[in-house]
Amino acid sequence: MHLRLLDCGLVEPALNMALDEALLHGPAPATLRLYGWSPHAVSLGWFQRAAEFADLPAGTPLVRRLTGGGAIHHGCELTFALTVDAGLLPTDVAGSYALVHDALAAAIARVGITTRRLEHGHAPAARPGSRWCFAVPGRGDLLTTTGKLLGSAQRRLARPRARILHHGSLVLRRAPLTPFTAAVADTKDPDAVLPALKSAVAQALAAALGLATERDTATAAEMTMAMQLRAERYRDHAFTFGR
Amino acid sequence: MRPNDRKYLKSHEWCKVEKGIATVGITDFAVSHLSDLVFLDLPGKGTSVTIGESFGEIESVKAVSDLYSPVSGEVIEVNKELPDNLDWLATDPFGKAWMIKVKVTAETKDGMDSTAYDAHCAAEGH
Repeated sequence: MHLRLLDCGLVEPALNMALDEALLHGPAPATLRLYGWSPHAVSLGWFQRAAEFADLPAGTPLVRRLTGGGAIHHGCELTFALTVDAGLLPTDVAGSYALVHDALAAAIARVGITTRRLEHGHAPAARPGSRWCFAVPGRGDLLTTTGKLLGSAQRRLARPRARILHHGSLVLRRAPLTPFTAAVADTKDPDAVLPALKSAVAQALAAALGLATERDTATAAEMTMAMQLRAERYRDHAFTFGR
Repeated sequence: MRPNDRKYLKSHEWCKVEKGIATVGITDFAVSHLSDLVFLDLPGKGTSVTIGESFGEIESVKAVSDLYSPVSGEVIEVNKELPDNLDWLATDPFGKAWMIKVKVTAETKDGMDSTAYDAHCAAEGH
């Protein structure tokens, strides 16, 4: 079995979310999609209330993620979506985060940036102190000396087959709405290290899963499903603002 | 020891049917593997639920998981206190932390007794 690698470049926000959901429901056992955002956008966690973001600058694109956690301002970042059969990751949620984050820490180290995984930080709270994912580092997050560098969230399905979508956001340059994050740009030129970083992320995640990477593109069926989800869910006002 | 007066699903919900009314919740195994629960979304009274389809969602450690119904029917009661008392899921998953009560029109044929469910958890808990 391989880890399919889809390097998608900059993609429109609603299509990003739709592609990730299409991959979650699709037949491939393991896929890693790497992407960025054009235009830059804010994504809300699944349970977040859109009304809490009424103060965003006019015209800020907003999408709702299938995954949990807080909002993210996706500026210049490397986003990844790992979609796998649930049996490929540890059963417990915390263990699955540890596996993914340790792999990402190894990948980030390969471009010369040291991070640490927060072992004893805040546990997630029902009423978190901030609406932003990166504002308050929590247990399991990857930090540098300047703050949180990587944020993650998941969606887990048990039916029709057990599957996991793991979203991760690795900040390359600080986004204007979330200036409190760490960023690759603190110590490295993001443009210079991005190709190596992508390769390292793919290799490290594949190694952690015991798989070999295989470059691929989304299938016609995946794209068809994604375009349908984009139109019916992720570009639907009620879907994004309904909570 | 898990109660043997109810059925269990592979997706870790439990269901106890008495006089045509099913009480539904999630198991201790599910709770321990989710950890740090933060949000629970349950259906409203009068909602129709269907065997094998999602009746709600729960979030833990930024992970959203669907809750799957072991029965079809109409929701006649919802544990409205539970979303504000998620610790009950850890302290009393088979009692106080019930989620919904459903007037049953059909039950899943895939329910396991507690012995079979224990074995399922042992196999899954790698």
